[in-house]
Order: sequence, then C-alpha cells, then structure tokens
Amino acid sequence: MGLGERRNKPFSVNPLQEKGVSLYVHLPYCASRCRYCDFNAWVADKADFTSYIDAVLHEAREKATGLNPQTVFFGGGTPSLFPKEELSRLFEELQIITGYQTSAFEITAEANPESFSEEKASVFSHGQVNRVSLGIQSLQPDILRAYDRAHSSEQALQALDRIKRVFSQCNVDMIYAFPGQHPESFFSDLEKLLAYSPDHFSCYELSYEPGTALTKKRDAGKWNPEDPDLCEKLFLAVQEIFSRHQYSHYEVSNFALDNSPCWHNVATWRTLDCVGLGAGAVGWEGGVRQKNILRPVEYESAIFERGSATLEKEVPKKETVLFDLFMMGLRMPHEGVSIERAERLTGLNPLLVYDKELAQLRQEGLLRVTPEQIRVTPKGLLLLDTVLQSFLPTQSV
Amino acid sequence: MSFSFPPERIRNFSIIAHIDHGKSTLADRFLEITGAISERERKNQILDSMDLERERGITIKASAVSLTHEVNGEEYLFNLIDTPGHVDFAYEVEKSLQACEGAVLLIDAAQGIQAQTVANAMLALEQNMTVIPVFNKMDLPHARPEEIKDELENTLLLDRDSTLQCSAKTGEGVEEILQHVVRDIPPPEGDPNAPLRALIFDARYDEYRGIVVYLRIMDGSIRKGDWVHMIGAGAEYETIELGKFSPGPVVHPGLTVGETGYLISNIKRLEDVRVGDTVTLRKGEPVEPLVGYREPQPMVWCGIYPTSSGDFENLRSALKALKLNDSSILFEPESSDALGFGFRCGFLGLLHMEIVQERLERESGMDVIQTAPTVPYQILLTSGKTLEIHSPGALPDPTQYTEIREPIVTTHILVPTESIGPIMKLCMDRRGLFLRQEHLSANRVMLTWDLPLAEIIYDFYDKLKSGTKGYGTMNFDEPRFEASNLVKMRILVNDREADALSVICHANAAQRRGRAVLKKLRKEIPRHQFKIPLQAAVGGKIMARENISALSKNVTAKCYGGDITRKRKLLEKQKEGKKRMKSIGNVEVPQKAFLAVLTTDE
Ligand SMILES: Nc1nc2c(ncn2[C@@H]2O[C@H](COP(=O)(O)OP(=O)(O)OP(=O)(O)O)[C@@H](O)[C@H]2O)c(=O)[nH]1
Ligand code: SF4
Ligand SMILES: [Mg+2]
Repeated sequence: MGLGERRNKPFSVNPLQEKGVSLYVHLPYCASRCRYCDFNAWVADKADFTSYIDAVLHEAREKATGLNPQTVFFGGGTPSLFPKEELSRLFEELQIITGYQTSAFEITAEANPESFSEEKASVFSHGQVNRVSLGIQSLQPDILRAYDRAHSSEQALQALDRIKRVFSQCNVDMIYAFPGQHPESFFSDLEKLLAYSPDHFSCYELSYEPGTALTKKRDAGKWNPEDPDLCEKLFLAVQEIFSRHQYSHYEVSNFALDNSPCWHNVATWRTLDCVGLGAGAVGWEGGVRQKNILRPVEYESAIFERGSATLEKEVPKKETVLFDLFMMGLRMPHEGVSIERAERLTGLNPLLVYDKELAQLRQEGLLRVTPEQIRVTPKGLLLLDTVLQSFLPTQSV
Repeated sequence: MSFSFPPERIRNFSIIAHIDHGKSTLADRFLEITGAISERERKNQILDSMDLERERGITIKASAVSLTHEVNGEEYLFNLIDTPGHVDFAYEVEKSLQACEGAVLLIDAAQGIQAQTVANAMLALEQNMTVIPVFNKMDLPHARPEEIKDELENTLLLDRDSTLQCSAKTGEGVEEILQHVVRDIPPPEGDPNAPLRALIFDARYDEYRGIVVYLRIMDGSIRKGDWVHMIGAGAEYETIELGKFSPGPVVHPGLTVGETGYLISNIKRLEDVRVGDTVTLRKGEPVEPLVGYREPQPMVWCGIYPTSSGDFENLRSALKALKLNDSSILFEPESSDALGFGFRCGFLGLLHMEIVQERLERESGMDVIQTAPTVPYQILLTSGKTLEIHSPGALPDPTQYTEIREPIVTTHILVPTESIGPIMKLCMDRRGLFLRQEHLSANRVMLTWDLPLAEIIYDFYDKLKSGTKGYGTMNFDEPRFEASNLVKMRILVNDREADALSVICHANAAQRRGRAVLKKLRKEIPRHQFKIPLQAAVGGKIMARENISALSKNVTAKCYGGDITRKRKLLEKQKEGKKRMKSIGNVEVPQKAFLAVLTTDE
C-alpha cells in the first residue's frame, strides 16, 4: 500500500471559501454523440445557438445577478463547438451580470479537439477562461471510431499543444477499459500526453450508464465489457503511472500536479453552493437542489415564458445532506469528510449517527477515522460504493 | 332473454382446438351474430378477459357464455365454452367437455392437424361426444382443406365429408356452424323435475360479494332464495343471486336443467367451494353426487417462497384464493435453509407454473421467489414402501432407498416428413425409446416415443420448434414411473450445501449439468468481498467447480455536482436489491440464481 501513502497528501493551499458560491453554465451541443455518453448533450445539427445563449443570459439575470462566484465552469456538451460570436457574447454579458472576472480565481471551459481552433482559444481567453479541459479519451484511431468521437488523435495533440501555449491550466480527459485494448496501448497514450505536462488529468473507467448506445449494445449481447479483474488492475496501474509523474490522486478519477486540482469540482465534492445555468444544469444553494429541464428547446421556451426552467426541486432532509457529504467527500482520499464541518452543516454528528457502520468499516480496513476526519483507505476507495451503501438513510427526501 | 328454455332447445358445446387455431376469435363471431355484444363492445378475443390472457394473446382459462339465437325459426339457448389450446391447460378442456354434449373441433386450414387437435379431439371422442370438425382460417391463401381431410381421416377416423369450413376472421361460414350444432349435438339430458344436481365447474373470489360459483345444472332447477347444500364440502347457503354470462353476468331469477350460470351466496370461506363438487337443495330428498372431476396430476413442482419471510401466511391465503379459480394447482408447506418457509407447488406444465406465479404476484400484490421446477419422483424405500417426492431436497439418505423411479411419458410428435431425422436424434439424445412412426398425409408424420418427463419439460419444445422450422407439435400422455439410474446432485456455495439448488439428474449427465449450473450461478451471484467457491457434488464426489472471485473494486468512476441525486438513488436501489436477496451462509443470492438449474448445457 506504499503507493497510496505517498500520494495522499493534502493540497497545501485552499483557495475555496466555505461560504463562497460557484457558477456552472451548461452548453449542451456536440458535434456527434459519443457512444458511452450519458451527459445532457445534443447533436448540434439544428441547434439555434443564439436563442440558447439568449436563454442562458436571461436565466443568469434572474438567478445570478451580482453573484460574484469563486469558480466558474463552462461545461457541456462541447462549449468550444459554439460559434465564436455567441461565446464572446456569453462571456461578456455574464461578466457584467455576475462579476466573475474579478471574483473567480478559476474559470474552466470544456473543449473538444475538433472544434478548439485558434479563434476559439482566443475567445476563451478573452472571456477570462484560465483553465481548459480537453476531451481526448483515447489516441487510438479505432477506439475513437468505436466511441463515435468526432476527432482524430492528431487533432487531439494539436489542441493540447494550443492549450498549453495560451492557458495557465489545462486538463485532459481520458477513458480506459475499452474491451480488449492492451493495457500497454492505453499506458502509451498516457505517456504521450504526459509529455505535454498538462497539470491535470481526469482518467475514467469506461462505464455503462443507463440509456447510452454502448449500454444498449452490451444488453443486446453485442458488446462485452472488459473483465472486472483487469479493470481493477488498470485502475491501480493508472494511479501508479500518475504517481510516478508526481500527480496527486485527489479524487477517484482525478489527478493533479501540485496544488492544481480543479477547484470548481473540489467545491462540488465538498458540496459547497453552486448556481447552475442552462439546460439540465443542477444548482445547490441554501439547502435546495434544483435541476433544469434537459431538452435545450424546451429549456429555452420555459426560460422565455416564465424566467425559470426548473424541472425538479429537492430539499433533502438533514440525514440525506449528511449522506451526500459522505458520498461526495469520501471520493477525495486525502481530504475525506471533516467531522466538525459535517456537524456544523447538518446538526448531526457523524460519529454518533454512523456509529456502528464506522466501527464495522474501520474493522474491515475500508475507513480511517480520526477525531477530525473520516477518509477511505486505498482499499476503501476501491470499494467506495459498498462503503457508501452502509451509510444510506432509509428515506432520502 | 326469456327465463327458461326447454332442454330440447338448449345446446351445450365447447370449442376445442390446438393453440392459436382461432377458438376465441370464433367465439367473438358467435357473440356478434347472436347480438350478445354490440358493435361498440367489439374487441378481439373478448372472452380472454384476464390481463395475462390479453398480454400473451392466449387463452388460459375456459370461459362459458350463454347465447340465444334463432335457428330454423326457433329460438335456441347455446351455452358455449371457449377452451384454451396450450397443452398445459388440457385439464381445462377436459373439465369443459364434462359440461357439454358436443364439441366444435376447430382446425387451422393452413396448419392442419396438430398435436393438441388430436389430444383434445380424443378427449371428446372417448366420452362418445359429438364432434363437429370445422376448418378455420379459410380466408388464408395457403389453406389446404383437401390435404387436411386426409389427416383427419387418418388420425381421428373422422368422416372427411362431415367437415365444415369457416373464417372466424371474416365471419364466413359461422352461421352454418350453429345450424350444425343444433342438428348434430344432442340436447342436454337430465330431468327437470328431479331434485337439483348442479356441477361446480369454476369459481372466483369477489371481494365484495364473496365467492362466485359457476354452475351447470344437470337435473332440476334452482331459484333465488333457495337454500343450497354443497355435498362434498358439507356447507349450506342461501342463494342471493343467480345469473348467466352473456358474456358479462346477467341476473336471472332461476336456472334450470341444461343451463349454465353463476350463483352468489356471500360465501367467504374458501373451503366451502370446491370445483367438481355437486350442489343440491337443502330441503328435499338426498341426491347422488355427480362424478365431478378427476384429480389433476401435476407434471412439475417448484418451491414458492415469500420474498419477505413475514408473508408466509399471506402467501397461503393467496394460494388458496388462486386455487379456487384454478383447481389444478396443488400446494403443500415446505421449508428451506436459504428461503425459509414456503410452499411446494404442483403444476400441469412450465407455462402453467409461470402463469400461476404471475397471477399470484398480481392478484395478491406480493413478491415471491420461485425455485427451479422438478418432476415428481417415486422412491422405493428399503422398507419396501414407495415414497413420492416433489423436490430433490426430499430425497432420503442413499442408505434408505433402493431405487429412484422417474416419470416416463408416451409422447406423440407431429412433424413434416423432412424433419424426421433431426427430431429422431433429439429424442435419442433425451434418453428416448422409439415406439412407432405413422403417416398422417403425404408429407406429415406422427412419431411416438417414450421419453423421461424430466427431459422434455425444459427446452424440448423449443428444440422441437427449431428442428422443424416451427411446424412440429407434441403432446404426451399421463406419466408412468420407471426405475432409472438417477442421482442427486448437491450444490455447495462457499462450502455450504444449498438445499434449494440441488437437482436430481441422470448419472451420465451429472457432470455436464453440474458444470452448466455452476456457470450460471457464477453469473447470477454478485461478487462478494471474499472469494466464493461453487461446487457440484454427487455423493462425496465433486463433479464440477467454479469460483466467484472476490469483489475488490466497486466505485463509481464519475460523480459531479449534477449527479448527486441520481447517484444516491442508484445506491439506494442497489441496497434495496441486496435486501431482497436470500442468504446461503454468508453469501447473498439473488432470486434468479434459484432458477440456475434450468439452464441448458448447450
Ligand atoms: N386469417 C385468419 N386469422 C385468424 C382466423 N381466426 C383466428 N385468426 C388469428 O389467429 C390467431 C389466434 O387466434 P385466437 O382466437 O386467439 O386462437 P385460440 O385458438 O383462441 O388460441 P388459444 O386460446 O391460445 O389456444 C389470432 O391472431 C387471430 O387473429 C381466421 O379465420 N383467419
Ligand atoms: S463530446 Fe462529451 S458531452 Fe458531447 S457527446 Fe461526447 S462525451 Fe458527451
Ligand atoms: Mg383462445
């Protein structure tokens, strides 16, 4: 377990304010639909970008005027796919509405290689974006094709090069456990990308979410997911590789060079407040979780008609808030859940509420419990879902 | 509808046929031409009123309906029974025929004589009933009536010139059938002035009105207000309501000899109503009870357990209520280490078993776990006695018996001549004994084999279908028991014997079956945090092994702010699923695993 120990040191800075709020903006269109994808993403054929941005700005005026967020995240979909005029309009107006250009220390935008041109890079940078998250997933042409990705591996490397030149921070998104892919083939992809020294990697195991094209294929018996034992080996091997390159394994699938995690995501794993704008965006503010209508056109008409596009609203009871803190917090092996903070936020002391469960999980070697903190062990991280099941309250809302 | 018809103007008949030959569709046409249903009420297979029947497009239960229609200037009362065609429901056909004087034997004019055409026709002919053969689906371009007349003569010895032709789809020829029913089927016998004797042929529990009893009046008559006596059950009730089905219930002041209808007496005790029992009047002279029905002989047995162990008594009442409406189910309490207290239930076939499980869950709103079905076995004990067992777990210790006997059935398989080869091979592979081969017509034959019931109960039918491009059909007679080289294969999960998973199988097949079962279990049992060895053993000898490797990774790869609610719900669902599992030692086993024994090895 030496490996786990070496990496698991907390970041030496914490720029996130406990009372601060983040801003998430969803830009839902993509060039194609990736086969594994279950995001709220829509193929852009008939997209009316102007109307969509109008709606987002309208929603921003309703919900985020003077918000002064500490982090901003433009996610998708594929933000880089949006026309440059629409993007500059979005950035400019949103700065006026929320004031993020001065309040936020981290402004991330997602991009895909096929649409991240020199022009888009400069629009991003004019919009004060200082961190770009690039979806690469694989450098193997056959795998990119099997995923129905809209770019080549050359385009991916060019885009990465562009980001490195223009932006201070950069993330690369990768997926492993493509059935039958030789582990070395994936590792060599990583090594190739590591040569660019992006300061952050998200490295996910290929998962089969409900409703995706891959899941349907699997259920029809036409696609065999990779053997679970090999997936586990890959999970550990990936950690080893990043550890060798001095990246900190700060969340299940996320790795960062010193002190450069994605703070926006750290904020959501701490369940700090966040305002969500756009189709399907989720916000969490003052104990209320709200989710917007998913389909962009319907989202737009709802916004134009009634100024809001809320689809679901959840006010979780305190036991559930506590569970969510664990569900999200334990994903970060070195940070875990602060007992004092959990009690402050929910009025429940986890050491009492989860008394029996904690003792059991500790005994099984899955958790480490100190008077200040609860964290997973390396084994507990591997079995996180099993760990979490034991904490589940009976009724969530 | 006038109150009573003289017996000579009543006709009682069943429509019998092979599955899907159009019985229920023909019944629709009868309902229409007799005006029993209006244009607005029209829908296909209207007598298939159970949800399950409509969903599956097959008749499961026989339904009786009373219709009036004018034939040759006279008004007649027709009590017709639409019967199911699937082999598992032959008992329903047998019961229906007992309430009739004749049958319309429907034959799909494109498909010809099929196994259940023969079997159901024989049921009627053996009782010397009038059988009117009718070729249906004459609208189909590939109808081949002449060839089928040959088949009819060769298999059932029925006169080729006696056949009628119709299309239940278009209505063509349907009126003629009623004319022939009047002409050829005798009116009911029975004495209108004798004391009441009525046969209970079906029953149903109604939450508000108590048990609805379905009657065929054999002698005498009954009026509202009469006190009735159920001879077998020894119960007495006052008649609150009488009526007939046309096809919905219609109240009548009385029912008289030859008629079919229902009786409501606010009966709440399930024990007081037994299908096959005789109803008479309380006052008046005692009567000889009617013959009633033969006890059904279950072909397969399986365990049915409540998912939550507290529901045992509820399951008992649910089974009782269901038995009222389906007298062919048998059940007896049993217990299992893994599953707790439940019932061993006997069925007429696998489809019947599936239907009963579905009905149980729907009608009682309770979740049940079902174990793999098995055929019954007879055990010759060292004491000289014979013991019939309905579950592998009930097999005594090997020192206590000298022989295991399994059910063997004489099976009639109707196939096109070109598929004789593959079907002969299939029967041989299934430990069959060839008896004979008869030609029905130039290109169809009937093969007769003796086969162990255990070999045909599972996927034999699917294999028959695929080996004959869908044209093969089969039927088998009552089983008889014969000694065979059978062994009990025990299944061990994490070194613990799982009684609910053991199987009885032929010694030569044990290894193959063992491997197949373990492979299936490996798929169905989720990985645990420890390694789970699986073993199949006969006596002390291990026939097959598998391992379920330890679960060492179970973590959601992606979880961001937008996913919180969804991921939490997913975890909840998984936890809920775990709760519903049953444990064998410290291993959680999902419901589906208990059916692993059903897997075929190919
Ligand atoms: N073309 C044609 N199709 C028919 C005719 N009669 C019935 N069918 C079709 O045959 C299929 C089976 O009809 P059913 O009336 O359900 O058959 P059944 O004999 O009652 O079937 P079971 O009760 O399950 O044994 C349906 O799809 C009917 O529409 C007919 O005269 N012509
Ligand atoms: S680009 Fe991203 S959001 Fe769009 S379909 Fe592919 S994975 Fe989904
Ligand atoms: Mg039918």
